[in-house]
Amino acid sequence: MRDKIKRLIVFTISLAMFSAINPVHGQTRTPDNQAEQRREAPTETLIRNATVLTISHGTLQNSDVLIRRGKIAAVGQNLKAGGGARVIDATGKYVMPGIIDCHSHTMIDAINEGTVSVSSMVNVKDVLNPTDIAIYRELAGGTTTANVLHGSANSIGGQTIVVKLKYGRPASEFIFPGALPGIKFALGENPKRSNFPPLPGLQRRYPATRMGVEETIRDAFTRAVDYKKDWDDYRAAQKRGDKSVLPPRRDLQLEPLVEVLEGKRYVHAHSYRADEILMLINVANEFGFKVRTFQHVLEGYKVAREIAEHGAGGSTFSDWWGYKIEAYDATPYNTAIMMRAGVVVSVNSDSNELARRLNIEAAKMMKYGDLTEEEALKLITLNPAIQLGIQDRVGTIDLGKDADVVIWNGHPLSVYSRPETTFIDGEIFFDRQQDIARRADMERERAQLEQAEPNRPPAQGGVPPTIPRRRPSHDTDDEWDGGIDQR
Amino acid sequence: MRIRQLLIICVLALFFALTARVTPTTHAQRSATIDTYAITNAHIVPVTGPEIQRGTIVIRNGLIAAVGANVAAPADARVIDGAGLTVYPGLIDANTTLGMPQPSPSPSAATGRSGAGLPSIFAAPQATLITAPNSAQPPGLQPEVMAENVIQTSSDQIDAERNAGITSALTAPREGIFIGQSAFINLSGDTPRQMIVRSPVALHIGFTPLRSGTYPGSLLGVFSSIRQMLLDAQRYRDSHVTYEQNPRGIRRPTQDRSLAALVPLITRDMPVVMQANTEREIRRALDLAQEFNLKVIIAGGEESWKVTDRLREMNVPVLLSLNFPRRTTAQVAEADPEPLRVLRERVEAPKAAGRLAAAHVRFAFQSGSMTDMRDFIGNAIRAVENGLARDEALRAMTINAAEILGVGNQLGSLEVGKIANLTVTRGNILDRNARITNVFIDGRPVELRPVIAAPRGAGASGSWTVNIKLESRDVTITLILQQDGENLRGSIQGELGSSQIASASAGPTGDLRITVPITFQGQTHEATLSGRIAGNEMSGSVTVVGLSPGTFTGTRAGGGPTTAAPSSSPQAQPTPTPEQPSGNPPASSSTSKTLASAALADTEASGTWKISLVIDDQKVPATLMLKQQGKRLSGMIEGPFEPAEISGQITNEKRFSFTSTVVLGGNSVDLKFEGTIYLDLALAPCGGEGIMAVMSGTVTSSLGSVAFAGTRYQECK
Repeated sequence: MRDKIKRLIVFTISLAMFSAINPVHGQTRTPDNQAEQRREAPTETLIRNATVLTISHGTLQNSDVLIRRGKIAAVGQNLKAGGGARVIDATGKYVMPGIIDCHSHTMIDAINEGTVSVSSMVNVKDVLNPTDIAIYRELAGGTTTANVLHGSANSIGGQTIVVKLKYGRPASEFIFPGALPGIKFALGENPKRSNFPPLPGLQRRYPATRMGVEETIRDAFTRAVDYKKDWDDYRAAQKRGDKSVLPPRRDLQLEPLVEVLEGKRYVHAHSYRADEILMLINVANEFGFKVRTFQHVLEGYKVAREIAEHGAGGSTFSDWWGYKIEAYDATPYNTAIMMRAGVVVSVNSDSNELARRLNIEAAKMMKYGDLTEEEALKLITLNPAIQLGIQDRVGTIDLGKDADVVIWNGHPLSVYSRPETTFIDGEIFFDRQQDIARRADMERERAQLEQAEPNRPPAQGGVPPTIPRRRPSHDTDDEWDGGIDQR
Repeated sequence: MRIRQLLIICVLALFFALTARVTPTTHAQRSATIDTYAITNAHIVPVTGPEIQRGTIVIRNGLIAAVGANVAAPADARVIDGAGLTVYPGLIDANTTLGMPQPSPSPSAATGRSGAGLPSIFAAPQATLITAPNSAQPPGLQPEVMAENVIQTSSDQIDAERNAGITSALTAPREGIFIGQSAFINLSGDTPRQMIVRSPVALHIGFTPLRSGTYPGSLLGVFSSIRQMLLDAQRYRDSHVTYEQNPRGIRRPTQDRSLAALVPLITRDMPVVMQANTEREIRRALDLAQEFNLKVIIAGGEESWKVTDRLREMNVPVLLSLNFPRRTTAQVAEADPEPLRVLRERVEAPKAAGRLAAAHVRFAFQSGSMTDMRDFIGNAIRAVENGLARDEALRAMTINAAEILGVGNQLGSLEVGKIANLTVTRGNILDRNARITNVFIDGRPVELRPVIAAPRGAGASGSWTVNIKLESRDVTITLILQQDGENLRGSIQGELGSSQIASASAGPTGDLRITVPITFQGQTHEATLSGRIAGNEMSGSVTVVGLSPGTFTGTRAGGGPTTAAPSSSPQAQPTPTPEQPSGNPPASSSTSKTLASAALADTEASGTWKISLVIDDQKVPATLMLKQQGKRLSGMIEGPFEPAEISGQITNEKRFSFTSTVVLGGNSVDLKFEGTIYLDLALAPCGGEGIMAVMSGTVTSSLGSVAFAGTRYQECK
């Protein structure tokens, strides 16, 4: 047997020596060159000699990761790739799975349908914006997957989806294959609008108290239970051959709630205070569904045991505190306390800006709670994957998983480290060298475009341009990142 | 006896003669007797057939009677010598709001008091929504609204289109989610019925949320509400079909006009026009159409060239807008560079048509709310220069539009039996120096008035007294606006400080948007006023970064826009014309300056300034007498303290700083003033107090810093 293996090794080595080795850099995918990208993207990539943070089975020194047709084909030492493979020398670098952001409002053209307090009929999938520059910046921060959520203006918000940040592709290609859809709930100050005076002349929207928030949720689920029964009865009548019964009216508001009752849609509940966390657990238990994750959950440490018993995950901030009354009892030790009580915890961004440096957010937990390196890294990889039900495909570096990996120039938990190359499904969607090389081209292109006739300022008059403070955040570098509404 | 008879006869004869002369023969009656025209010796381009180098076209009774090289003009025809002229089918504008009612001023705009039912900020902007009677749906979600019910027969906009050679158009209401059902109209007729060629043509869908504060208030809700209504329409149709077949034993289904109006969409009997420009908007529209198996037409289509595979596969035509984007902002050194995406988009837009043609996607041209109708043909020419074949361009303005909109058998080309809409030019219509010489609609010539510049804004100029409600406070300010074509400049004065408007725009339908720095409760904020001007009233909402939104209402003093044209500079220019900085195109008149233009030249900051410092909600007035020599500033300041000397300098361009030591309450306090001077000598007409310049900035001392603002009044000469 050994002989055979030896011969195989010799054979592959000689094959490798005679095959061409492709240059190191893949080109960054942008909408204008994607057609040519698809033609020339290699099906195999070999990342050589890196420190591989597998998350699932420890850290491997001086190891290689072989990617084939979008999956992790092999992890080990001295791997060999076929001819035509892209080989990247990652000596001195670190490879870890792509970061998963469990609370994102990136890439949507609308965040809140705030006119009604139960807006389960709306779906963020309808308003995806694949050209949002924030996507690219997040790739540059090592984030590869995002749980794109509706805002927190409503007790029951809109439907949500999980996406892979494939910048440059049409929106349909972003959708994470096989991930269950979700729905956003919100408890506390935001859905009761305590920080937002009503517009002049309009009455304050119901609910205006936490009691009302609970009632809105109960009422919606009560109606959903009735709705489900109507449809079950109808289907039973159809089966019996009874043609006289018209189907009930399809109600897009109640259908997602029925899916929640049937376990086919995850509930992500924005929450702060311990009492409202317990309230939702009780309501969920009563109606027979599970809360999948509590988001923000800054007082989760007070009720960590109850959260763990219910089986919900917690997705929280590293160290945000005090920006509203309900955030006053927050502590950065929240993560550690919940973890020790058995809750699956992730750290999220809820922000285009923070989503670029979730590695630091995770690192902070080594200070606040003495998490080990591996536990800290889990907060942004395996744990959010488990929370979103996608741990079979992403979250660790294991054979057969999606090749969503990032090459860092240093240990990701160090403040000095930066991602160099970001892969999703084995394709490069961000490469630092390529980005730098493109800048000169872009400057040239800009100079040329600015001379074109439609781009020249009007000869006479001309509207004064908007002053810097008010430019749209998606097109510039220093963003003013949303408001309290989203946290 | 005979004399009397003679007299009577004479009188009667005179009477008849006089009345005969007096009987009015109206223009209509006169031309009603001529309904046959022949254009001879002309170059004729039928579009659906080979070009005729020299031929004759005869129109009779509103229809094309004959076309050909060997056609003779009938004896009773009014003959037009077409030597040197080219006859084309009448041009078609494939998507407009022609003939739709103008927005009416909202009755509650004047009061704007809170608590008065639906607040004015919501009532005013939605004034253009057409409401159907007895509808189960709110305005904006009423697919039963029909353009044909509200068409107005004449307007400046219709004239402007005809002068551009356009003889017919698709018209739909201005806004909404389910905007309404469009009508295809000829742009000439005494009554709406005479104009309509076909109605309804299609149901139009826009993806802009309602602004009424009720669902749907976001793009999310727009999609869900459309989806829910289409589902309900499917059920409505099924329930009615079932009921019709046998009503016995079934409770009758509800009558719902809104859902009934959606049924033809579901059965694909009526197409739906969806407004979409960016790639993602177009993809979303196509997804929605696919979900409900709708016959969809994309209107706008600026990035449609990125989605051609899908458009062709789904056989979706595009009503491509010729309103190509162009830069409207002035060149300002401190402004951010424009994003690369925006620069690319402007350059790519003219190439869209050529790319659609190459990909075999059907398309027609629409004007897309352009303000200067000369751009209709003008931009079609640009499309040709950017890769579109000339004959394709012509088809997009004629037969393609007709076929896409279901009237291809009635007009769009010069064929016998079709409606006689003709556009006659001297020169090829796609040449820049061609001139439109005749336009026929429904077989009648149309009077071409000289091209009127399109509606130049709501006439926002003037001095407005505006009452603003902000954070439960009522403040009054004076807003001075000067409109020069597309550009709007001005300043504010009063309880929110004095400052120049940072940016402003006023749309042709009266939409107003102004961004201006204000001083409120001791702090400088940036406020955006957005609302509507109607006549001499304005109203809308105020958003201020960091504060809750407020509302405003205003009335214009003097009851009318000021007539002084800003480009004719006021005479009271105290200083010599400064040299223009390089790269900065001068304003129309060499002696008037625009915001943020040249650095302050010698002595420009000089003068007497009335300033006020905002201290603890109080405005403390002071007078500043400045003398500028080169970069040096000197002078005196006087206020709630003894006059004190100041000294300082112009730091750069228009920024200045100076210090002064004043005696306040027995103590010596060092004050440092830093700010910016805005010179806009073209602001207000000279009459009463003309404001000639404005300054604003902060005053710092060991006690803290406060904002200040000031104006310099100059006597008019």
